[in-house]
Amino acid sequence: MRTQLFKNNKNKVWIVLFLLPVGLLITAFFVYPIVFLIILSFMEWNGIQPMSFVGLRNFTDIFANSVFQTSIKNNLIWAFSAAFLQIPLALLLALVLTRAPRGWRFFRTAYFLPNVISLVALAMMWSALYNPEFGLVNYLLEVVGLGHLGRNWLGEINTALPALIFSYQIYVGYFMVIILAGTLSIPKEFYEAAVIDGASVLQQEIYITLPAIRGIVVTAGTLAVAFALRQFETTFLMTAGGPANQTPVLGLFMYRRMAGLQYGRAAATGVLLIVLGIVVLSGLQRVFGKSDAVADSQQ
Amino acid sequence: MSTKRSIVFFVVVALLFASTSLFAGGRAETTGEIVLTWPSIWVGQDSKADVMEEIVAEFNEMHAGSIRVIVEPQPDYDGYEDTIRTRLAAGQAPDIFTFKLSPTTAAYYGGNLLMDFSAELAQGWGDNFNQGNLQASTIGGATKSLPYEIGFTPIWYNQDIFNEAGIDRFPETMDEFWEAADKLKAIGVVPTSQMTGGTNSWTSMLWYTHFLGSFGGPDVWERGFDDPAFEQAAAVLKRLYQDGNTTRDAIGADAGVSGGHYQAGRTAMFINGAWYIGNIRDNSPEVYRATQLAPAPKAGNYHGHQVGWLHTNLAAAHTNDPARREAVIKFMQHLTSPENARRVSLAAGSLLAVEFEIPADVELDPLQQQFIQAGNEAEFLIDHMEASMPVDVVYELGQAIGAMVLQDLSPAEFVDMLRAAQ
Repeated sequence: MRTQLFKNNKNKVWIVLFLLPVGLLITAFFVYPIVFLIILSFMEWNGIQPMSFVGLRNFTDIFANSVFQTSIKNNLIWAFSAAFLQIPLALLLALVLTRAPRGWRFFRTAYFLPNVISLVALAMMWSALYNPEFGLVNYLLEVVGLGHLGRNWLGEINTALPALIFSYQIYVGYFMVIILAGTLSIPKEFYEAAVIDGASVLQQEIYITLPAIRGIVVTAGTLAVAFALRQFETTFLMTAGGPANQTPVLGLFMYRRMAGLQYGRAAATGVLLIVLGIVVLSGLQRVFGKSDAVADSQQ
Repeated sequence: MSTKRSIVFFVVVALLFASTSLFAGGRAETTGEIVLTWPSIWVGQDSKADVMEEIVAEFNEMHAGSIRVIVEPQPDYDGYEDTIRTRLAAGQAPDIFTFKLSPTTAAYYGGNLLMDFSAELAQGWGDNFNQGNLQASTIGGATKSLPYEIGFTPIWYNQDIFNEAGIDRFPETMDEFWEAADKLKAIGVVPTSQMTGGTNSWTSMLWYTHFLGSFGGPDVWERGFDDPAFEQAAAVLKRLYQDGNTTRDAIGADAGVSGGHYQAGRTAMFINGAWYIGNIRDNSPEVYRATQLAPAPKAGNYHGHQVGWLHTNLAAAHTNDPARREAVIKFMQHLTSPENARRVSLAAGSLLAVEFEIPADVELDPLQQQFIQAGNEAEFLIDHMEASMPVDVVYELGQAIGAMVLQDLSPAEFVDMLRAAQ
């Protein structure tokens, strides 16, 4: 059918016409910026005066920067936490809600709700919760007699990054909804047959649900890792990379270079962020197989 | 319909559809009216918001049908700087805007993005300005931004709390300062507001600059990080973060937290500029009435100085259109007229680079009066770090303070961090 569609010249014209607007948009807003970014990464430019070619100097400069090295490490920690903390949490919630416990619709909405609230508002809320003087976290610790554990969560070296990552788990609902769509589409007959065969709930989840939604879970994982790799807002708003340069990420490092009118170094950081994303996501695909749920269904 | 007709029809529809976006945000200049856009931070809760709105409205009324200034509200100060930087890099300077002149932003003077006001200033307009400020805004003979607001940041202290702690006057030496800090802690008040957050660690940057001036004198920035004053001032700053001399949330705190502690009476000392008068007067009248100003205690060889610099400069996009240029100049002259400068200063408490007389019957805000007096009595003025160092160093300050306090780095290592960011 696909071959016939392309054999017809009249159809070819229409296909080209329909693809043209999107093709132009992708060229203008994706291909061109990336090409420009790559070119810029070899230039020195302050945004005002003409650019000058500096070869690989931007890359060597940023690799020598200890904040850049910390940023790469933190980006990988964020990606790791997305894959091995956020997705398992989302999976667990989806599996529970699929069993339709009392009030499951409410919980589904409640878990998803943070995704429609401004990220800035949530960051401010978390900053307030973590505040060492008036924050709810330290207050609750005092109430339960653990006041000695209270601290400046975002202002201490050992707690700042974990506190940031913990706050980000509030977005688990997004991935839960994706996985839930998969679990709800599994035919009930599978479970009925399993019950007749005497399978426990745990066995049903392990031998029916998980294999059926494997592709969707990997897709959700890929998305979660991609979001984590481009992490910027939460870090920028809650710690700005501090304290003592413990929490920067590549997005923030890039932003700082732009603020210093070092657009060449910012572009070099952007190029490396893209490379890091390709490497990590390719690695995920290699480890977990095809992430495409559609591809799974075609197998 | 044939294929060719279909293609033509499709292309025409697509072009019409696309063209709508070109006109959607366009400016209504069809009647010959020149519209100038001004992305402004002086909106919303800013102390200059109301008076600026009046000044712009008056200008628009005076030039109805020929010039109209449209203010684009940008209440987020840090976001505003990002916006301006991005627009300049894209070659799209706003018609009118403001920025902080620093070693980094001085790059804006390069190229042909900003309007050069020097010709008009030379025709008498320049006499309205403080000549030192005007000179500081002139680079290579071009005055591509107009000095407007002056930053001047003495130490604020709460006299009521000092009285309660048994401190009869603001400390003049560091020994007296630490003694006073102990007395304040004894009555349960945290001595100082500090912060490492925001883009510049504002309050702590100013404390650091005060002590830097005391150790290194007026030319300390020119001598650079090899001067021992940088380490000596860092040692004082480190102690300010230790032993309960500041709040628990100081590491990571922003200006709102730092100012909030002072306004709530939780801290006894704080630093900010005159623009903060309106805020504290409205939100914390008791603390406002108890506030007194002082120079920093003598930590090194110098004393009696103040931190003062050009805080905000006005700028405009370069244009080859003489009518548009004339419109911009008219608005700038209106905004920087002595009369309007006086209105802004009296309404917001700001100190301006535009010179004006205050009529005898006008009663100045007492705190603003103190600011003027402190300025007159200052032994010398020293620029703060943001006005003296590249933005990368300013960003690094908060991280370096955090490292010095949390990782117990030495003052020398603190300075090394700043040096590495340079």
